[in-house]
Amino acid sequence: MTEPLLSIRDLKVEFSTRNGRVTALDGIDLDLMPGETLGIVGESGCGKSITALATMGLIPDPPGRIAGGRILFDGEDITHADARRLRSLRGADISMIFQEPMTSLNPVFTAGDQIAEAIILHQQLGRAEANRKAVELLRTVGIPEPERRARSFPHELSGGMRQRVMIAMAISCRPRVLIADEPTTALDVTVQAQIFDLMRDIQKEFGVAIMLITHDMGAIAEMADRVAVMYAGRIVEKGSADAILDNPLHPYTRGLIDCIPVLGKAAGEQGRMPPLAEIPGVVPPLHLLGQGCAFADRCPLAFDRCRIETPILDGRSHGVACFATEMEAV
Amino acid sequence: MREGSLLDVRELSVRFAMQRQSLLGARPVLQAVRGVSFSLRPGRTLGLVGESGSGKTTTAMAAIRLTPAFSGSAMFDGVDLLSLDPEAMRQRRRHLQVIFQDPYSSLNPRERVGAIVREPLELMMPEMPKPARKERVRELFGLVGLRPDQMALFPHQFSGGQRQRVSIARAVATNPRLIVCDEPVSALDVAIQAQILNLLRRLQDDYGLSYLFISHDLGVVQFICDDVAVMYLGQIVEFADRPSLFSRPRHPYTAALLAAAPSLTRRKSAGYVREGMVRGDPPSPLSIPPGCAFASRCPRAQPKCREERPQLVHDASGSVACHYPNACDHRASLVGASSFCRNTSDGAGKSMHLRSVKWR
Repeated sequence: MTEPLLSIRDLKVEFSTRNGRVTALDGIDLDLMPGETLGIVGESGCGKSITALATMGLIPDPPGRIAGGRILFDGEDITHADARRLRSLRGADISMIFQEPMTSLNPVFTAGDQIAEAIILHQQLGRAEANRKAVELLRTVGIPEPERRARSFPHELSGGMRQRVMIAMAISCRPRVLIADEPTTALDVTVQAQIFDLMRDIQKEFGVAIMLITHDMGAIAEMADRVAVMYAGRIVEKGSADAILDNPLHPYTRGLIDCIPVLGKAAGEQGRMPPLAEIPGVVPPLHLLGQGCAFADRCPLAFDRCRIETPILDGRSHGVACFATEMEAV
Repeated sequence: MREGSLLDVRELSVRFAMQRQSLLGARPVLQAVRGVSFSLRPGRTLGLVGESGSGKTTTAMAAIRLTPAFSGSAMFDGVDLLSLDPEAMRQRRRHLQVIFQDPYSSLNPRERVGAIVREPLELMMPEMPKPARKERVRELFGLVGLRPDQMALFPHQFSGGQRQRVSIARAVATNPRLIVCDEPVSALDVAIQAQILNLLRRLQDDYGLSYLFISHDLGVVQFICDDVAVMYLGQIVEFADRPSLFSRPRHPYTAALLAAAPSLTRRKSAGYVREGMVRGDPPSPLSIPPGCAFASRCPRAQPKCREERPQLVHDASGSVACHYPNACDHRASLVGASSFCRNTSDGAGKSMHLRSVKWR
């Protein structure tokens, strides 16, 4: 069996806040295999982005800190790597694309300059050579007239083009891991589809492993090989994308799937669609997490034990952290 | 005016004069909405869908006179809103309300939410006695699923979903007949989205509300709308009732939107590859091409499409503006249907059956 490229073990991240110390990630275990796409799904505030930032060594300290666990990249422990090592990793081996391409691009430099900067930094190439490569990358990510667009400033580009520039920048040094944090949330569906197609093409061509963070189960279906479902800083279910989508075990996963108004379901039927399934309530604020399962208050299956003990993710390939599901299985 | 419609919009156009390029140059004109007509029946929901910049929001806002129209008419309850004098228009405002996309910027951060919901009552129903107003606000809070003790809180003390509930309470306060919902769930998490969509529909059932529902999410539109108008660069390119539009899209743009929308059955594991994808971005509304506006991105465009602008043609199953629309039972219409059952492109031998999702 191949070794995982990125391996997160029992990761714990804490933040000091006005309400005292809160645990944003509590014992996260994740493996990212070479060339695969791992989807991380959950609502806002579940710890998806913190997981990504921790991997990149980007947790702001203070107020945050990695309180336990390890992050291994290709066998090397990078949990507490120094700034210098992290700088050489970021961009070159692990790179990231963010949700809002407008705020993550520098408005006063041209698209070409920003891509060239990463190349000069990591590949010891001259300015002219880097610029030529930047144009090449813009062509790779499907930007028309790349020579002209390389001289454009971010505000002159559409949202979809900006995200393509971000992707060009992210893949400029042929990273082995690409972390995509809600890369299409700010985009139109047609553009989202183009970006997803591009990410799949890039994965096929360069064999990059992708960690895709999303709240959209549709994106999971289309993009992911394996999935981890997060809730309140823990992984509540993980498995292959098919297993999670066709046979979700955790009530939270079921809720996430059922509450989407799915396209195509009864498309041609007359009359009204039945009401959507709802997950009542909201994700609890971290400082109010008590003992027991964090989902218990919103869970239709919760019973006494759920409010006292915290369920542990079982180690099977399709694993779930839920007492009610355990009972069903017996 | 169409028989029995609550809002009947005819040939609505909106233009914006842009900044001069040079001192003596003419002001370029941006044609945001170009001759749009539609009608909304009472108690129904009409969806306006399209990409950013297609003119969905401008159309809706011009129809209720929140954006000045260049030409056209908007008959609401037998009166043209666009030619009413300002005071008469103000009187009608209580029947026309809006729910905005961003629950953060659409509520005054310095006002308590109770006062936010009470304000439309004070402005539009001044005859209502004060205690009755207070009672009404309390009732509205219950209606949208908030607790009366939350009335004294400020907007920042609520989550996005709860703020949207406050917006909804404010919109229904004056018992309006029409609510423009401008992407009301786009900024919310999926789980909260379902709560708000169900709430909107329950309110519609209970109070006979009509919605003009703007969204780019076709899943949401399919759930809540009775009729759908697809917009592209300021024009309606297809209009149909929900079942027809989603099972037999006729305009290639509608088909492309459906192909692009995420769905649980298009699996990476099954080797899903998208077909009929549109490329690039729409043309600029400052320089609209002479022919069909979609021709530059259309997978089926012919020379005629680039020269001659297609008109919206009406028939029994809806309207479509395309020189070469999909016939009602055309194979290409399955591009839309394939979002559900299976990919139809690769013949019998290697057709990939995507496993159907279990619905609990």
